[in-house]
Amino acid sequence: MAAEPYDIIIVGSGAGGGMSAFHLTKSGMKVLMLEAGRDYDPRVETPMFNINAEAPLRGVGTPDKPFGFYDATVDGGWEVPNEPYTVAEGSEPFIWWRPRMLGGRTNHWGRIALRFGPLDFKPKRRDGLGYDWPIEYDDLAPWYDKTEKLIGVAGAYPPQNLLNTPDSPPGCLMQSAPPRAFEIFYERAFKAMGVPVIPMHVAVVTGQMEGRNTCLFATPCGRGCAIGANFQSTTVLLPPAMATGNLTITTNALVYQVDLNKDGRAQGVSYVDRKTGLHHSVTAKAVVLAAGSGETARIMLNSKSAKFPDGLCNTHGMVGRYLMDTVGLNVTGQFPHLEGLPPTNDDGQGTEHTYVPWWGYEKQKELGFPRGYHIEIGGGRQMPSMGMGGLVRGDLDLVGDDLRARLRQKFGSTISFNGRGEMIPNDDCYCELDPVAKDKWGIPVLRFHWKWGEAETNQAAHMVKTFTEVIDKLGGKPTGHVETDGRKAISKGGEMIHEIGTARMGHNDTDSVVDQFGRSWAVPNLFVMDGAVMVSSPDKNPTLSIIALAWRSADNLATIAKQGAL
Amino acid sequence: MSANSPETGPEPYVSKIDRRTALAWVGVVGAAVVGGAGVVVYGPKMGGEVITRGYGTDPKLTKPEKAPWSRIMTADQLTTAAILADYILPASGSAPSASSLGVPDFVNEWVSAPYPDQVKDRPVVMNGLNALGAKVLKAPAADRAAALAALPKATDKATVDFWKKFRGLTIGAYYTTEAGFKDIGYIGNVARTVDPGPSAEVKAAVEVALKQLGL
Repeated sequence: MAAEPYDIIIVGSGAGGGMSAFHLTKSGMKVLMLEAGRDYDPRVETPMFNINAEAPLRGVGTPDKPFGFYDATVDGGWEVPNEPYTVAEGSEPFIWWRPRMLGGRTNHWGRIALRFGPLDFKPKRRDGLGYDWPIEYDDLAPWYDKTEKLIGVAGAYPPQNLLNTPDSPPGCLMQSAPPRAFEIFYERAFKAMGVPVIPMHVAVVTGQMEGRNTCLFATPCGRGCAIGANFQSTTVLLPPAMATGNLTITTNALVYQVDLNKDGRAQGVSYVDRKTGLHHSVTAKAVVLAAGSGETARIMLNSKSAKFPDGLCNTHGMVGRYLMDTVGLNVTGQFPHLEGLPPTNDDGQGTEHTYVPWWGYEKQKELGFPRGYHIEIGGGRQMPSMGMGGLVRGDLDLVGDDLRARLRQKFGSTISFNGRGEMIPNDDCYCELDPVAKDKWGIPVLRFHWKWGEAETNQAAHMVKTFTEVIDKLGGKPTGHVETDGRKAISKGGEMIHEIGTARMGHNDTDSVVDQFGRSWAVPNLFVMDGAVMVSSPDKNPTLSIIALAWRSADNLATIAKQGAL
Repeated sequence: MSANSPETGPEPYVSKIDRRTALAWVGVVGAAVVGGAGVVVYGPKMGGEVITRGYGTDPKLTKPEKAPWSRIMTADQLTTAAILADYILPASGSAPSASSLGVPDFVNEWVSAPYPDQVKDRPVVMNGLNALGAKVLKAPAADRAAALAALPKATDKATVDFWKKFRGLTIGAYYTTEAGFKDIGYIGNVARTVDPGPSAEVKAAVEVALKQLGL
């Protein structure tokens, strides 16, 4: 544990905060990490092999545990006790997922670890829409390499040379587990449509890796991993950071303000202890915000001073702006040709073994929407849940042996197609401080504004068309009503839990809040190292990029510190 | 259990919850009669504190505690639930009956829960059990069988909704147990050193299917 005085305060312990702490402590800096949630240890708290019969209500989701009883999320979900948020009148729906635990959302995330591609950093250059990043793919590529080698990512395959779908260099990825029966099945239909199917990149250790345990090829990753075979900040980043002796972690510390000195530099932060209600202020030479895009923006907006009356670094009104999420949509099919397969163990490596990367980069104009999506596809003989009755929804007269036989026949015969698409930032999507609402401790809360653009709703409609086509090709039928209107079928804002972009990076202090290394333009010793810095929201899930960016930024911060420039 | 004794009428349902939990509930449920072999038979609820809270946002996951809320079903409703659950999934070969796996206790846990989805299901299930109970609890075996067989054919909304809901709860509760896994052929949730992928037999079956589809 590091003693005061601290060099760096890091707010947040998830993907960005964990990575920053890992690199800064290994660089010899004394770090204080403040986490709003409670301490959490996946090694002793993960219900690895529990079955649903052991859980209240057989593990179904409830308002207390929205993703199911065994989901790792602590004290949170769509609502966090005592910590409300609001959605502006007239806005489309927006929902905000927050945990309150060490490691944040890395404890339950989907483990899909796709690199952004070269086009993703220069979307405006490509089609005139949205904004370009101040960096190129090549700037981040070495950090993707390092990140994949550190956190453990499976998905190696011979180079595919697909447009904007980077192949990792040799030695970065481990071999993916083989495709399961349903994955072999759907691949053939996509290939007949001219659509590629390739191994998914997942942050799970599937082979031998120094200092890590190999996956047990059992149990859902969303519960967390007691053996640390998948990536969680709490198992992969924080233990080695603690081992340096340079890290102090304070939990239940809800940071609400960056404190400035008379020179306008950050001197520390103030937080309220969620358990005692007591307020504290701590100091350091620099502050790193990595609380998640929403909380990071909230802290900046609540940090008001004479110099920054509308919130820290917000003289141009950009903090909270360019809020983005991922476009999401699901269609599930049932396939008679998958019925009655011999029993097989489909538990696999915790998430998809294969997926469909976006294939339409060169025909966006004819498609009628400018940006693409990838497809995450679930299926197989998963551990039975309370949803089993859905398999025989149409066979209401069956009981006894006939019912047992029909369930056996249909078990594992459904496949769920999930589109995950790029969103273009727009002026209608942002967060600000609610003028009235406050949390339990009197701190103003966020008010969200949301409106999908046509680029997203047209893309969603195309997802539905693609999924119904592939279901038909495979001789299946959708399991429920299929909404073809993209505006109705699209996910809610925030629902994909990829909210990013509230303190974006840019070329200069007029177009952005921070520079390409997350250093704020307005306060030279304030850094942002989470998804808030992102300029666009490609279809690829953001966590791997958040980690790689945080590592690159932390390395730059360490260099600045070594130069004595803090 | 055999809930359909032809001569003497249905036997009361014997709860399958463990004795320790049952004893912990005695204070809140009231006139629970502690039986042998680690099971209890509940009588009607008689006073005591009614607990309506959920398990909270930070429950212990590795060894889940029993759901804290008070149970609301009566002995007659539990017995009716056992009869119906065993009509849907009676014992068959080595597969146990739904009631022997405690499905009625689960239905009780479900309808008693304080969460919105379960609160919505509560009147559907409770009213359905009451209506069915009137037809099966004191009826001759033949009438009981007829009342049960009529459920899937019912056309009135209340009965259709009850049948769909209770059947879904029974199937879900049954197949989420180890016995259910065995019956349906779920062979996962075991630690492995590698994932070898599907067997040659499974792959061959998929190829046959794809060939039929012209793929």
